Amino acid sequence: MPDVRVTGRDGQEETLQGGEGRPLMELLRDAGTGVDGTCGGMCSCGTCHVYVANEWIDRLPPRSEDETLMLEALAEVVELRPGSRLSCQIELSEALQGLAVEVAPDA
Amino acid sequence: MATINLKMLLESQSLERCPFPIPTGWFFVDYSESLKAGELRNVELFDQEWVLFRTESGKVGLTDPYCPHLGAHIGHGGAVVGEHIRCPFHHWEYDTAGWCKHIPYGKLTPPIVKKQAILRTLPAQERYGLIWAWYHPACEEPSWDLPAIPQLETPGFVEPRRGTWPVNTAIQEIAENGVDFAHLKFLHGAPGIPPAEVNFEDHIIHIDMAGGYIVGKGYGPGLNVFHFTQEGITATMISYTQPITAERSQMNMSFTHAEYPEGSKELVMAKKIVDHMIGQADGEDSAGFESVDFIVWNNKKYRPNPLLCDGDGPILRYREWFKQFYSGQEQLETI
Repeated sequence: MPDVRVTGRDGQEETLQGGEGRPLMELLRDAGTGVDGTCGGMCSCGTCHVYVANEWIDRLPPRSEDETLMLEALAEVVELRPGSRLSCQIELSEALQGLAVEVAPDA
Repeated sequence: MATINLKMLLESQSLERCPFPIPTGWFFVDYSESLKAGELRNVELFDQEWVLFRTESGKVGLTDPYCPHLGAHIGHGGAVVGEHIRCPFHHWEYDTAGWCKHIPYGKLTPPIVKKQAILRTLPAQERYGLIWAWYHPACEEPSWDLPAIPQLETPGFVEPRRGTWPVNTAIQEIAENGVDFAHLKFLHGAPGIPPAEVNFEDHIIHIDMAGGYIVGKGYGPGLNVFHFTQEGITATMISYTQPITAERSQMNMSFTHAEYPEGSKELVMAKKIVDHMIGQADGEDSAGFESVDFIVWNNKKYRPNPLLCDGDGPILRYREWFKQFYSGQEQLETI
């Protein structure tokens, strides 16, 4: 079971487990981190924005065009960083064991 | 003894009446004067329901009824707001091209909203006093323009007389009668099988029947313009049949001719030509379509491999030409 290290909006760190084969968004949403995932993975709501830790950026599959466009729309209201991703587009797997993310602020 | 060809005898059991997809082309939607600015209503066309509306500035829109947001039917409770149509459910607004122009809440706009139209609308325009929409099954843009029809777009012609008739068959079947010259003698009772010339050119079919008596063109499946000339007087008929469902069409026609003085011989002749196109005119020995064609259309089956004989019109060339309007489905064996 992959462990994901999560930094919440309040700065608190916790480790979440499980969710293999599911999007990271669902793990974060179900753990009450403030991630909503309203659109369910369509890249149309921007409510599952996270900052992936720098060392993980290149280890994730690249952003799709839809994800890129949603992040560009988000940039108008919240800070974007190199590790900005929509967590609905990150599928959890053993390969992501130890992934570290920070929940981005609400839009 | 030769074995009998059972397929010949039994094929009709498996035949369909209307095996055709909805064809591609410009089609009549409604008369321009019957849609006021700010008005919206539901129409059945192309085998589904659509919402027809006119913006406050007068632009016509024809959209799929179901809002891309949560699927509400925009034609039940929706409204025209300025240049947009508004869904009743959450007041998302769309322009006549289907672009979402307003979401009255939400801080972020879903990216696809900026990228493309999200509500299916059909290209629409108004010509000859009629509203037209371009139907293509994969939402492609129009590949031809509607033609100029001076008799309906310039002064000097009488206000068109109109008729409309429901038919229980598909457009391909209706229009096939235009190249079936033999039926004019037997079904319509014409004195003989008229000589005729047919030419096909891209989306246009040219027909010249009885040495210039009937001359006209079909522009795709949705518009035919025919001129009937007798004793030097010409009347013009345009027919604009709508595919309502795969098996149901609505035939519509407008008839006009040049303005002639009241009581003149020319006017009498022009009116007689128009009467004859539709039904039975005094002194004519053949019948217009209204009295004879429907019984055949409404009950026949389509034979993709018909048994034709010499003396039949260019039925197969017509069908080959018509296939271009079944975009992407030309290979269907049933057509």
